[in-house]
Amino acid sequence: MGKSSKDKRDLYYRRAKEEGWRARSAFKLLQLNEQFQLFKDVKRVVDLCAAPGSWSQVLSRELYQTQKNSHDEAKIVAVDLQPMTPIDGVTTLQADITHPKTLVKIMDIFGGEPADFVCSDGAPDVTGLHDLDEYLQAQLILSALQLTTCLLKPGGTFVAKIFRGRDIDLLYAQLSYLFDKVVCAKPRSSRGTSLEAFIVCIGYKPREGWTPKLELNKSAEEFFEGANIGRSDNLKFFELPDPEERVIANFIACGDLSDVDSDATYTLDASESRVVLDPVQMPTSPPYKLALEMKRRGDLVRR
Amino acid sequence: MSRFNQVSSVQESKFKPLEHYGAVTALKIYKNYIIAGYGPTLKIFDSSSNFLLIFSRQIFGRNKIHSISVSGSDNESIFIAGGRSFAILNLNNLEDIDASETIEHAINEWIVCGQFLDQNTLLVLTAHNIIFKINPETFEFIEKIHCNEKSILYSGSIRITDSGQVIIAAGTVMSGVLIWDYHSRRVLYNLTDHEGSIFGVKIDPSANFIISCSDDRSIKLYDFHTGKLLSTGWGHGSRIWNLEFCTEINGTLRLFSTGEDCTARLWEYSGSESLKLVSVMDCHLGKHVWSGDIDDKSLELCVTGGADGRIIIHDLSAKTSTINSVTSSHTMDDIAKQTGATFEKKELIKQYSELPLLNILVILTSKGKIFTLNQTSQKWSKCETPQSTEKLGDFGLMKSFPESNAVVATSRNGDILVMNFEGSNVSKNYWIEDEYLLGNKVANLIIESNLAKNEYYVLIDCPNPKSPLVLRTFKLDEGTFKLSSTNLLQQPDQSSFTTTCMWKDEVNNWLLLGSRYVSVAIYDLDSEKNKDGHINLGQIFKKLSIGDTITSVSIISTKKEAVRFLMTVRDGVYMYIDIVFENGDFQLNIIHHNKISRGFVEGGFIENNDLILYGFRSSYFYVFNESQQLEITNELCGGAHRQWEFLRYKECDPLDFKFIYINKSTLHIKCFQNRFHKVAGVTGGNIINYGTHGREIRDVSVSPAYQSNNSDSTRLIMTASEDTIVRLGRIHFNGKIESFWCLNGHISGLQKVKFFTREYAASSAANEEFCLWKINESGDIPLVVEFARLKPSSSNPDLRIMDFDAIPQFDEGGQVIGFILCTVYSDSNIKVWFFDVSKKSFDLLVVGNYTTCCILNVHFLTIEEKTFIMIGATDGHIALWDIGNSITARTSTCDTLGNPIIKQQLHQSGIKAVLLLNKKDNDYSIVTGGDDNALILSKLTYRSEEDGFLLETESFIERAASATITSISKLDESNVIVTSVDQIVRRWAIQEDSSLKCISARYTTIADTGCSDVAHFGGKSIAVIGGAGLSSWECK
Repeated sequence: MGKSSKDKRDLYYRRAKEEGWRARSAFKLLQLNEQFQLFKDVKRVVDLCAAPGSWSQVLSRELYQTQKNSHDEAKIVAVDLQPMTPIDGVTTLQADITHPKTLVKIMDIFGGEPADFVCSDGAPDVTGLHDLDEYLQAQLILSALQLTTCLLKPGGTFVAKIFRGRDIDLLYAQLSYLFDKVVCAKPRSSRGTSLEAFIVCIGYKPREGWTPKLELNKSAEEFFEGANIGRSDNLKFFELPDPEERVIANFIACGDLSDVDSDATYTLDASESRVVLDPVQMPTSPPYKLALEMKRRGDLVRR
Repeated sequence: MSRFNQVSSVQESKFKPLEHYGAVTALKIYKNYIIAGYGPTLKIFDSSSNFLLIFSRQIFGRNKIHSISVSGSDNESIFIAGGRSFAILNLNNLEDIDASETIEHAINEWIVCGQFLDQNTLLVLTAHNIIFKINPETFEFIEKIHCNEKSILYSGSIRITDSGQVIIAAGTVMSGVLIWDYHSRRVLYNLTDHEGSIFGVKIDPSANFIISCSDDRSIKLYDFHTGKLLSTGWGHGSRIWNLEFCTEINGTLRLFSTGEDCTARLWEYSGSESLKLVSVMDCHLGKHVWSGDIDDKSLELCVTGGADGRIIIHDLSAKTSTINSVTSSHTMDDIAKQTGATFEKKELIKQYSELPLLNILVILTSKGKIFTLNQTSQKWSKCETPQSTEKLGDFGLMKSFPESNAVVATSRNGDILVMNFEGSNVSKNYWIEDEYLLGNKVANLIIESNLAKNEYYVLIDCPNPKSPLVLRTFKLDEGTFKLSSTNLLQQPDQSSFTTTCMWKDEVNNWLLLGSRYVSVAIYDLDSEKNKDGHINLGQIFKKLSIGDTITSVSIISTKKEAVRFLMTVRDGVYMYIDIVFENGDFQLNIIHHNKISRGFVEGGFIENNDLILYGFRSSYFYVFNESQQLEITNELCGGAHRQWEFLRYKECDPLDFKFIYINKSTLHIKCFQNRFHKVAGVTGGNIINYGTHGREIRDVSVSPAYQSNNSDSTRLIMTASEDTIVRLGRIHFNGKIESFWCLNGHISGLQKVKFFTREYAASSAANEEFCLWKINESGDIPLVVEFARLKPSSSNPDLRIMDFDAIPQFDEGGQVIGFILCTVYSDSNIKVWFFDVSKKSFDLLVVGNYTTCCILNVHFLTIEEKTFIMIGATDGHIALWDIGNSITARTSTCDTLGNPIIKQQLHQSGIKAVLLLNKKDNDYSIVTGGDDNALILSKLTYRSEEDGFLLETESFIERAASATITSISKLDESNVIVTSVDQIVRRWAIQEDSSLKCISARYTTIADTGCSDVAHFGGKSIAVIGGAGLSSWECK
């Protein structure tokens, strides 16, 4: 699909380019905020799996421009394994979110104060094996949650991308031990045909008698052992565990019904469609870049 | 309200899973067994008894089998794992497994693989790079072992080497391969040459090599002793999922890979920096060969499993043998040396024909010389013919009659040479001088025979419209070919008619000629002759489809005044056509039309109801089973622009072929024999397990029963997948789904497919595509044509037709004469049409807009003979319009849709599924399911002309699923089947008090659960569930 036809198919894509967002996903966070007032009284924010940085852009605009906080009053830390182009007022860390050192670095930036808000828009590359993809997405959320339990203030908010497939009710059940309110939110800018949605977890309540501790070489499963959040542990003879706790979270569609519909096709004005905008940020190079180059050169003969 | 999901598992026994078609997630060859992980089901095939399925059972409740290993010891145990589940089965006691006993076990982490260390020790590797040591008898936990590097793994394997070393190869999500030693727990290597996630890593049994593959689309081979990168293999078009070692022969190491690009590949390493690609097997549909294994030593085969649910075996006996005994090649020099003949400078082999009874090949050179090759002795000899053959130089065309050891050839001016052969030589030959072409040039020589009648036909076509077509009939008389009659056929009155193929129908004595520009001429050879003594043209049918040359015609069935034949067109189109003689006229009806996307089609035939096509694709010649969507064989010949001959030996084996071609002045004779073709009764063989689409199924529809025959034990079924394919098949009473055709009419991702009647169905897609299909069930298998197609509203269409509905219109005799049709679009557009069956025309009756949001579905309602349309959209609203007048008037002017008479929000966001139940005359129950997990029962009451409708919610289930509800199908008037992407299928009952109650909920193995329909067989109801695969369940 060319740039202009994508503009037509996806008005958010075009609007993101017009408004200077690095990705259309910026609108998802904006619409989530409209619904949940996520940024109210928020000063210390962590954006996990942040690259290319559209959520950090939203956070930066909100905290510094809209709320008029100074760079001393509000802090935003963006963490990703990939490098990120700098954003005003955002400290970017190229780091692994499961590593204890990353936690230390964030806490340093916050001057030892806990975070008010943690978010993650991360998703693994999908393979097409649904169970494996769901497992990896769950691992990513658990990794984000590990770090969150280590640095979020009681009463703080956690927002993360999820894919609503089988077993999503297990995640809701576990999260509801850790937060007062767990909602599954779907912004209108997220396509109806996509399984994507966001968990908005409000009011962090640390588990009594459990101290979260990030340690090198500890898996997410081991991290949450003892947290007593309804996860099943290994049984003595590795029997199939009893049915695990499953909860269906409340669903809330976010954004106004009059907002652009991400599933609809729009007719652009002739003047609009003539101006083809370049993306704000070029995509990063994929692992198969060399294979693509070889294919272009004709080096990949079919047989 | 309870914390717990109340609708995750409810009275599961009310659903009985019957059949499942979906991704093959694991394959393992062990001895003569092929062990397959078919989702949660373990299937075992025995190669020593024709790949018979000897075991099939669902082992895991929810998880799919991703890994299989077998203990080499005396008690041959099979370890299977997937997700968090694992199980151990004894291969020698499969029958003893108690079907009611749960043998599923679980670890609290994703399992990558497992291996038996010895009788008492099972090693299980998890995605956190931890080994669980478990007693396989008692399932007691022994210990956890790790190497202090707990990265997340995509892949991994455990190798117990011939010398007793235990090595773990771990493929991480972040470009590294960790090789560590189980005993010392030390990391031996961290191999970081790949980019991206590692999807496969293995160590060979002697621990000399490591292989790995990744997101970067390359295969890397390492020296196990040094960790040095030895070689890299490029070629896969996308991600590589699986790797295996083959045997090492004479210092050459062979590797086997499968990938996302639907191919399996064989590679060779003999010291070079890059792996040599030896063979590519393009064998599955859609995307992904998820699994594969190879045994190139004893079974000489490899096996692949795809997202299409098919398990396919591939013969390696020919591919791996060093001398390919079935191909022979011959140059002009070879022939000269053997026969002592001298060739002129530019003399070439022009024509060749085989006489299989003598096992000789007859060739004609560009200077008119004739030679024969004895294919038994591989000896060439020059034919000494009593009559000079020089006239055949420069132009000659030559054809053989295999059954009668005769060859005919024509010169440029139409003189015909008839030759009879004995041994390798011509016994008799004579010329028939032309009397009809009057010096005009011959365009083509076409032959046909009828052994029963001892008749052999030779047609000479000449492009001059004044010359007739000359049809000569020969008879074999005491070993000699004798001319028995000559018929002159009136030229089809069309300058562009060039005969390319013919078929003589014996029942009616009709002659069928195929031409360029997809035109067909038919002659009744018994009809009266015109004043010139020519047989009159019966009828010509021009441009039956877009395309160029008809490459073959062959009769499928014939009876008095009616023939059905198969026709292939070079550009890939094939058709089943009926010609009947009715009321003094020939009438032609195309009852099946499709186009293959593989390349050019040069011919086809039907074997065992399967359609086999052959032709050229880039530089290859291929033979393809179109019905099974499987390539039977191919040959790298250089492409279509050459002399070639494709021969079949029906009497020996219908799937033994010979392909003769010239490439770079060399004659090649390639024989194809299919080692597995009798497997599972599949023509072309090799499929040991059937499947379905290779991509997600977006919609499914089951046909009504024949009105006349409700006891019919099959229904037609159509499925539409995201990769543009529509499939037509049958669902049987026992839940088995059989597929007949993959229809290629769409070019973009499908949205919906629906049967209107038993005979008509339609499908819609992006790009404003809407196809109406007509099905013909007069033969053994259903046939289908694209009957009509809606023209897009712009030359550059970018709208999706999200849904459609139709009301069939019947004449007094009950025949369908048209449809009132409604199509809804992604830009909120709504269009109502009248489709006229006889004119194949769409007349726009009503057009309008809802808002600007995407409409998701549409339904017609009829109340008091008035027609209404109801839509559901992404904004969670239901809207209703009265279009009664527009339809009844059916004027030439198009009405504009006014304001909806009802517009009411039911759901928070998109209404994904709507089911209408007609309660009473003026009452409808509407069940809607949304992206918001909710299921709502509403009552729509028509009060009166003035008061209009009332839409009231009767039952609202806010948490009817834990994820998007994707489809609702009617089980009966008060029970519905609901699917959701949470992979739970639920049955909801509408109770007396108009509340909804979940009376059954069961997990389905179909991920991305997106569509459903119900087949009603008298008292038995079978739900069909589609998504990443297809399942059939009996609803009790």
